[in-house]
Amino acid sequence: MFKLVSKQIIIGLLIIYLSSLSFLGCSPAKTSLPSSGVTVVVWHWMTDRQPAFEELAQRYERQTGTRVKFELYAPSEAYSQKVRAAAQGENLPDIFGILASKKDFASFIKAGHVLDLTPYMEENSGFWRKSFFENALKTNVFVQDDAYGVKPGIYGVPIDTMVIQMLYNKKLYAELGFQANNPPATFQELLQVGQKLKGKDLQGFVSGWGEYWMLDCFANNYAFNIMGKDKVLATIRGEIPYTDPDWIKVFSLFKELTDAGLVSSGTITMVNKTAEQLFANERAVFAFNGSWCVNVYRSMNPQLDYGAFMPPPISDVYPMAIWGGAGSSFMVNARSKNKEEAVRFLQWLTQKEQQVFLAKHTHNLPANQQAMQDISGVLSEFAKNMPFVTHPNIWGISEFSSVIETFDRGLQSIILGQKSPQQVAYEVQKAKEKELARKKAQ
Amino acid sequence: MKSQIVYKIQRIFTNTIIHLLLLTVAVSCLYPMLWVAASSLKTQETVFKDTSLVPREWRFQNYVQAWREGGFGRHFLNSLVYTVLVVMGIVLVSSLAAYGFSRLEFPGRNAIFYIFLLAMMIPVPGSFVALYALLNKLRLRNTEVGYILAMINVGLSTSIFLLKTFFDKTPKELEDAARIDGCSKFGIWWNVALPLAKPVLAVVVVFNALNVWNEYLLALLIFDDRPKMPLQVALQTFQGEFLTNYPLLMAGLTITAVPIIILYLLMQKYIVKGVTQGAIVG
Repeated sequence: MFKLVSKQIIIGLLIIYLSSLSFLGCSPAKTSLPSSGVTVVVWHWMTDRQPAFEELAQRYERQTGTRVKFELYAPSEAYSQKVRAAAQGENLPDIFGILASKKDFASFIKAGHVLDLTPYMEENSGFWRKSFFENALKTNVFVQDDAYGVKPGIYGVPIDTMVIQMLYNKKLYAELGFQANNPPATFQELLQVGQKLKGKDLQGFVSGWGEYWMLDCFANNYAFNIMGKDKVLATIRGEIPYTDPDWIKVFSLFKELTDAGLVSSGTITMVNKTAEQLFANERAVFAFNGSWCVNVYRSMNPQLDYGAFMPPPISDVYPMAIWGGAGSSFMVNARSKNKEEAVRFLQWLTQKEQQVFLAKHTHNLPANQQAMQDISGVLSEFAKNMPFVTHPNIWGISEFSSVIETFDRGLQSIILGQKSPQQVAYEVQKAKEKELARKKAQ
Repeated sequence: MKSQIVYKIQRIFTNTIIHLLLLTVAVSCLYPMLWVAASSLKTQETVFKDTSLVPREWRFQNYVQAWREGGFGRHFLNSLVYTVLVVMGIVLVSSLAAYGFSRLEFPGRNAIFYIFLLAMMIPVPGSFVALYALLNKLRLRNTEVGYILAMINVGLSTSIFLLKTFFDKTPKELEDAARIDGCSKFGIWWNVALPLAKPVLAVVVVFNALNVWNEYLLALLIFDDRPKMPLQVALQTFQGEFLTNYPLLMAGLTITAVPIIILYLLMQKYIVKGVTQGAIVG
């Protein structure tokens, strides 16, 4: 009897359990689509843009009858994993973003996941292509005989742009005895601010230099200013050594910033979020940050009075260059049955009206050149320097990762006072020669 | 007399040291939780400026906003269903498997058990792409069943290990009595082995419930449709690449922590027993 009851209980529990699973299994495996019309599915990771995207999707549906569904997956690292897994399973949505290096972007194209948008861009004498900032579009362009081995073409649509520049707190700057609306115009003027900081409970300069790429970006800006683009690219090609006097000047400016009291040893381990908190809380006079910071500072301290300016140049022979270009881009799934509708939506999304809407609601720089005219405030200060934008992704050549690592570690050692600029230059050149020899041997 | 005083002083001194140590551990464990709770009542601006644990202004509306903007209602229910079904699945399969590994003789028993142990060494993210491809082939991707099965799989190896260790230590004589009374193998598992394993089952339930409740990477990978996702994915809404809405994130974290704290409090008696009986030996 007892045996029978216990068996009945077990069977009962199993039935309840399995029916719960079957009930859940009844839900459709695919995204439910409306009975009429097309739904374009977009995957993205930009949490701050979701409400604006949804508003635009509604407008688009009202205008065209095509439904657009923005699916948000954050944080960005998890999003990247999802996109990679979906690519393997050929389950990518109609539109998606690739958060990876250009080399990885190229591997997606080679695997047939990304639609070549060149024919669409070139329609009506290149009307769509010409609407973008050239440098923003270049991030998604592959040219003949570059290092990536991809069929030349335009494979992505920039949704916004970004520029990395210097920022200064106007109130703190004025308290140090400088004119609030005249940020340092030369590197020497910047160093002079350090003298005024002595004895004050303030940080001079903050940036996410704990993240190597920000440090790399700052050094490259000055390399372009000191020796010009051609010489920088010649160095990457291995034609000019890092021990060249111009490169020593680049390394030395980090020593000068440290000696002037502008940069502290804490800066080299600082992640950008910490740097942003310090600047937003008025604990630092200067910051080196990207245009995305406008939205970040606005959220952390709406009263923050600050301005953006070009990194003050050392030399007047070559123009200062700043890193920038496409902030985020969308790609169209080449295997999607809705690819035509997806392209049409992206064409609409990058028109002036929608770009102005996005810029106003997300506080990011638009990718459409015409939309830039409607930008105001600090964002406009970022925008005015767009002509000076460059980025490693558009150079067509890239430095060996081990050389970049030695370069960035060397800069950190200079700030810590452990190595001289000459020592670092020598070490970077050694790393470069090792990589060149290895490449030659292959 | 003198030795008694010395003994008392020694005892007071030792107790003070032990209590100070325990207090330090308790504070270091509680402080982050208190910071989360305090930050959930601040504004985005004051979360960085006002570092005290007692906010100057108590913004309870953060909880309402987090609940609404994160779509917590739906996700909360999802998490509840996933946690209950996954834990039930793990308890059912792992207890049967562990009992089998401990009591039944069959070829390759040890080899299969060691394979399960090996699975414990593989971190879940390491098997993401393979799991994704498998679920895709089985047409279980973007389904609740797919997620539940994957999560049961994640929790099995550790649970089998814990339960087998316990069953190995349980005297076989207890089962012999049931066998003489005419109980089948299945009946012995249900009527003798499982009731005895209550403390270990409590450990299995709490550990796995915690694991499922806090999981989000696998859910993000398997699900495309947001309404099917669990609570932790909703939390990510407040954490962007450049911008994190700390008060809403902290309010969301507090909401998500409550059920698991309740579960722990309800089962702590069994957990302590489970641990002291050597349930998590090794």
